[in-house]
Amino acid sequence: MNWLLPEYIADALPQEAACIERLRRKILDIFRGHGYELVMPPLLEYLDSLLTGSGSDLKLRTFKLVDQLSGRTLGVRADMTPQVARIDAHLLNRQGVARLCYCDSVLHTLPASQAASREPVQIGAELYGYSGLEADVEVIRLMASSLAAVGTPATRIDIGHVGVFRALVRAAGLDAETEEQILLLLQVKDVPGLAEACSSLPEFCRSALMRLPELYGGDDVLELAAQVLPALPEIVSALETMRRLRNALPELPLSFDFADLRGYHYHNGIVFAAYYPGFPSPIALGGRYDGVGKAFGRARPATGFSFDLREVARLAPKGEAAGAVLAPFSGGDVSLQSEINALRAAGEIVVELLPGESANEGPLCDRCLVRHSGDWIIQAINRN
Amino acid sequence: MDGITIALSKGRIFEETLPLLAAAGIEPLENPETSRKLIIPTNRDDVRVVIVRATDAPTYVQYGAADIGVAGKDVLIEHGSEGLYQPLDLKIAKCRMMVATPAGFDYTNAVRQGARLKVATKYIKIAREHFASKGVHVDLIKLYGSMELAPLAGLADAIVDLVSTGGTLKANNLVAVEHIIDISSRLIVNQAALKLKRETLVPIMDAISKAVGS
Repeated sequence: MNWLLPEYIADALPQEAACIERLRRKILDIFRGHGYELVMPPLLEYLDSLLTGSGSDLKLRTFKLVDQLSGRTLGVRADMTPQVARIDAHLLNRQGVARLCYCDSVLHTLPASQAASREPVQIGAELYGYSGLEADVEVIRLMASSLAAVGTPATRIDIGHVGVFRALVRAAGLDAETEEQILLLLQVKDVPGLAEACSSLPEFCRSALMRLPELYGGDDVLELAAQVLPALPEIVSALETMRRLRNALPELPLSFDFADLRGYHYHNGIVFAAYYPGFPSPIALGGRYDGVGKAFGRARPATGFSFDLREVARLAPKGEAAGAVLAPFSGGDVSLQSEINALRAAGEIVVELLPGESANEGPLCDRCLVRHSGDWIIQAINRN
Repeated sequence: MDGITIALSKGRIFEETLPLLAAAGIEPLENPETSRKLIIPTNRDDVRVVIVRATDAPTYVQYGAADIGVAGKDVLIEHGSEGLYQPLDLKIAKCRMMVATPAGFDYTNAVRQGARLKVATKYIKIAREHFASKGVHVDLIKLYGSMELAPLAGLADAIVDLVSTGGTLKANNLVAVEHIIDISSRLIVNQAALKLKRETLVPIMDAISKAVGS
């Protein structure tokens, strides 16, 4: 059984690979059209720089090995975002706005969910150096238009804000252990568990935390949140940010969830998740993470999103594969060769049969080149 | 699937969930005890029930094969709750997770700090965490049923198991020596389903919540 692959690891066979590549080109073209420059960070790095500024869940998900040259521990990237933040903070050293994008495989020790691959193809775009909401609006729009362009438009984009929970934690003076415990309960909306964990907290904090799991839904949730949450300055400003975001993106199906604290230790402002019907987890994730570059010596405002291209390719409508043209073996036939060259230059797939080869099992050929009174013409292949 | 799929297990959970579903205006059209069907239609065209093993309910909901379901807290702890919301304690199928030993076994002495104990259980994670918090080393033996037999046959010193009436323990001359956690069933919800099908799901969840409270 030496042909078996490790669990949650898969080949992409021709049809799937073609689809992934088609989507990759399309999305990277959209990114390029918006001024996002492509970067290609390395597959592995020293573990400490790879994990800088990220949570401990990323550490668990990172494959490690020892560098024979330096004796230091290397990590295979499980997420490209910190790498791109490092590039922005250290290598580009731009003062103004930097727009970067990336697309490559990452590796996870554990699959992100039971249905996920351990080798997702992460594609994403990040905007550095602008702390205003307009940057978040730009990346959310970019996310929505890339998903729509490949046929998997987000039917719900859920907005959260980590500042709300953080303000409550600070106001109540919670220790790190309690904060972590309550964070986990909030993320799974475990209301009974939350009631137990909050029982000894100050009343204003307890009642506010108990409301968070119910604060999800449409625009009315923003009004409700303003009424039921304490008017701490950070909370007021978080609500204002969410309201402005709503007004800036009237064309998108936005909704809100105050207990969505994904990437809490990493993000510092709004977070967002895009959903697509029939897929059991978010199809794309993003948010603001202004502090991350600090660990690399230069804190820069940052916001961005990414998604797994393999997953999106699986969900995307397949579309008609372009048929290929089957050509006879050209040998020394100059007229045939130039005909084939002209077709290929025009974007056609032309498969040249080798001597003795009668049919081709590769790309589906729906037409063939035949000689007709001295000229090469294209004829449909009758499959009956 | 545009409608709502509810994952329920046969037996106690199904029976005790019925009145809660009825409060939400949902009535299964067949009884899984008599029908052999695994997909059961309801009085509502857009709602169906799938019959699963109790331990499989979180899996169905995580993968989105069902939108909501009912699972015991014991199953959720063992299975992990990634990708799930568990917003509501349904207060049904109540029981307790206990440590039990043969009558006459000196449990207090056996679990002094630094001791080592052989424990048979179906609930590996719960048992491991419980004994770790007491500072006791345990050798866990995973069993799939009839835990009560293990100490009697000399397989283990103690068991960790669900106790509802205590009848089975008594019949096998075992005593419950320690209470680990109270167990009841939770409503579990697929995270993406709550976002995508909010308009249909929230009224159902609210009705169930109201029925539990009354």
